[in-house]
Amino acid sequence: MVRVIRWVCEKCKRKWIYPVATCIYCTGHIKKAVGRKTKVIGNTKVFVPCPPHPIIPYNVLILKDEHGNKMPKKTMRDYKVGDTYEDAPSSDEKAVAIVKVKYDFFEAVDEAFELIGGLKLEPKARILIKPNISLPMASYLGAVTNEKLLDALLIWLLGKGIKKENITIAEQSFFAPLEKCIEKSGIQETLDKHGIKVTDISKAEFIEKKEREFTFKASKLAYQSDLMINLPVIKTDMYLGLDGAFENLVRFLSKENFEQLSADKKKAAHALAALPKIFPKFITLGDGSIGMQGNGPAEYGEPGFFNMVFAARNPVAHDAAVSRILCLPTPPFVELAGKLGMGEYDAGRIIAVGNEIDAVRREVKLPTGSPIMKKA
Amino acid sequence: MNMNMELSYIKGAGMTKFGILRKPSHLLAYEAASEALHDAQMSMDKIDAVVVASLDWFFSDEKQRHFASMLSSVFRTNIPIIRTPTGCSSGGTALWTAQQLGYDNVLVIGAEKLMTCKTESITDEFMMAAESRIEQLEGLNFPAQNALVAQEYMLRYPETTTEHLALIAYKNHCNALLNPKARFYGKPVSLEEIKKSHIVASPLRLYDCSISTDGAAACIVSKDKTDIKIAGSDMCTDFLGIFEREEGTSWEAACISSKNAYRQAGAGPEDIDVAELHDAFTIVELIGYEDLGFAQRGKAYQKIESGYFRLGGKLPVNTSGGLKAKGHPVSATGLAQINELVAQLRGKAGERQVKNARTALAHNVGGAGGSICCTILKKMNGAV
Repeated sequence: MVRVIRWVCEKCKRKWIYPVATCIYCTGHIKKAVGRKTKVIGNTKVFVPCPPHPIIPYNVLILKDEHGNKMPKKTMRDYKVGDTYEDAPSSDEKAVAIVKVKYDFFEAVDEAFELIGGLKLEPKARILIKPNISLPMASYLGAVTNEKLLDALLIWLLGKGIKKENITIAEQSFFAPLEKCIEKSGIQETLDKHGIKVTDISKAEFIEKKEREFTFKASKLAYQSDLMINLPVIKTDMYLGLDGAFENLVRFLSKENFEQLSADKKKAAHALAALPKIFPKFITLGDGSIGMQGNGPAEYGEPGFFNMVFAARNPVAHDAAVSRILCLPTPPFVELAGKLGMGEYDAGRIIAVGNEIDAVRREVKLPTGSPIMKKA
Repeated sequence: MNMNMELSYIKGAGMTKFGILRKPSHLLAYEAASEALHDAQMSMDKIDAVVVASLDWFFSDEKQRHFASMLSSVFRTNIPIIRTPTGCSSGGTALWTAQQLGYDNVLVIGAEKLMTCKTESITDEFMMAAESRIEQLEGLNFPAQNALVAQEYMLRYPETTTEHLALIAYKNHCNALLNPKARFYGKPVSLEEIKKSHIVASPLRLYDCSISTDGAAACIVSKDKTDIKIAGSDMCTDFLGIFEREEGTSWEAACISSKNAYRQAGAGPEDIDVAELHDAFTIVELIGYEDLGFAQRGKAYQKIESGYFRLGGKLPVNTSGGLKAKGHPVSATGLAQINELVAQLRGKAGERQVKNARTALAHNVGGAGGSICCTILKKMNGAV
């Protein structure tokens, strides 16, 4: 399951660990080689912590694939030299794929979906993608979806035979004109490349959906696809604590409905907890490639450089895992949703695939502006 | 590829004590430079250029970038000042660079102030010299990298064990006891303590790892003929990620740079009387013995056991105490090696003097073999 990637010149056979376009020695064509069968050829147990790797001891393995290419792999599990290294995928609702983004977003997306058991897609399937393009900020600041991840996802879907006319990217902004958000985010180039436009949710129809004591006005777009891919940016949030799968769904609501539900802060957490239930089942692909830390979700936060993407069939498990990884307490709305039977909210019971939660846990700058969150 | 450069001489050398020092890095640089100028009996106005080795530290309280201009302030000069940041080999690289410039007199300085933050932060700082998207993400800090090198070596050559690594550490600590500028001067460490120290990254223990320290060192490279000739000098690089390289038990950059330096000097490993090797980790010194031709592949353990590399042995290595026990202020290290070898060749190494030392070698490594400088010095006038 773990992928060892090299970019290889077909002519002179030089190899790179980076995605180079051409060979600067012989101008030969570069081909990507991905190794998937790995054996352990070296291992060390490390007892020295540092801020990005605070939990010790941890192991670093050197894996060698079927092409003879090597790569390091951090794990909390013990291995011996000669062991086969494998990651078993899981399509369980409690499974969360944790994938480190190295130099190739496409491989990260492919690996993430593979780890949650794969996505069965009919060629005629209609796909709805819900990214975060809600703020007029450049994506390198970690406030909006990384356009490289969106590009990789689109390439992945098109590679599975999905037609571009059956792909809808939907978003709205409560703070600025959507066109300005798209322009500032850097996503336009990706949209132009694939010939896909963003559908403005605020200009589409809303329908009423009731869940528990709440009345939601949700975009009809959310009910017009065969598969929705929720593509949130992972951010610490000084109001909510964490922006992830749950928060990204609020922009399916009408602005008016959103403001009404947010007016009462206590009720807002309950409403947010109930929100995923009004939508058909969806997949979350969490964008932690850059992400945000500190006083997010906007201009007071700063880039997190988490270098990870996450995938899950269940938004509760997704947000529970992500908050644990960032050393945040489980957000109250996630815990509440879990207690209402919507998914696994206890990070200790989550099935982490790709990387163990403890292997990627790292301290981040906390949203000190949030009165309801304390450090885990 | 090899540079056919005009070889130079060392006119003066100086260094600060290594330890937890109060001065900021630019004043450490000044102190080392003053000592080197005094040693050369020169004034700063005779210097044509400065090459400085220092790194920009993320966690440091100094918050000082643009070090070149900072040194212009400190030295009150407008001459060119060039930085050579190649991790732990910055000092060696600075020395090599100085020889390429074509000036009459170049002041070469390495200065580092590490001891301003917690060990965890220093570990993270060092780890930033590893490949960022793969090695750093996978927690491959430098103890871990070198531990994997040690493991691969001991799997391939099972006669070598951690006992041999402990002997290297012990040798260097014994030498540091005789070096007033070393961090472990006056602080003896027993072999037992070394063997029982806690594991840092298996199989490496605490005393297999060099000690972080503040410090600065300098020398003056000159076209004037002096008693110390730079007879051979080369700098080579290798792929940053150790996992990218085919071979883990030998560092190609060391093999190439030493081969070139030997050829320039008209010498071979058998001609070296004293050497300073880059023992950031004991395993690095061990594979250095083999890469530099002091021992056959896989057989260095025999010479370690026989005391070949001890003071009083056939080829004393790290008489200064090495990075292990003298200390490792990153950018200053390569020039501190030169300081020690100049003292040896001039007969001024006191209790750690190697008799009849005429040819010396310095081996300075950046990262886990990502950049390596080998310098051969020859004594020109008479014996010690």
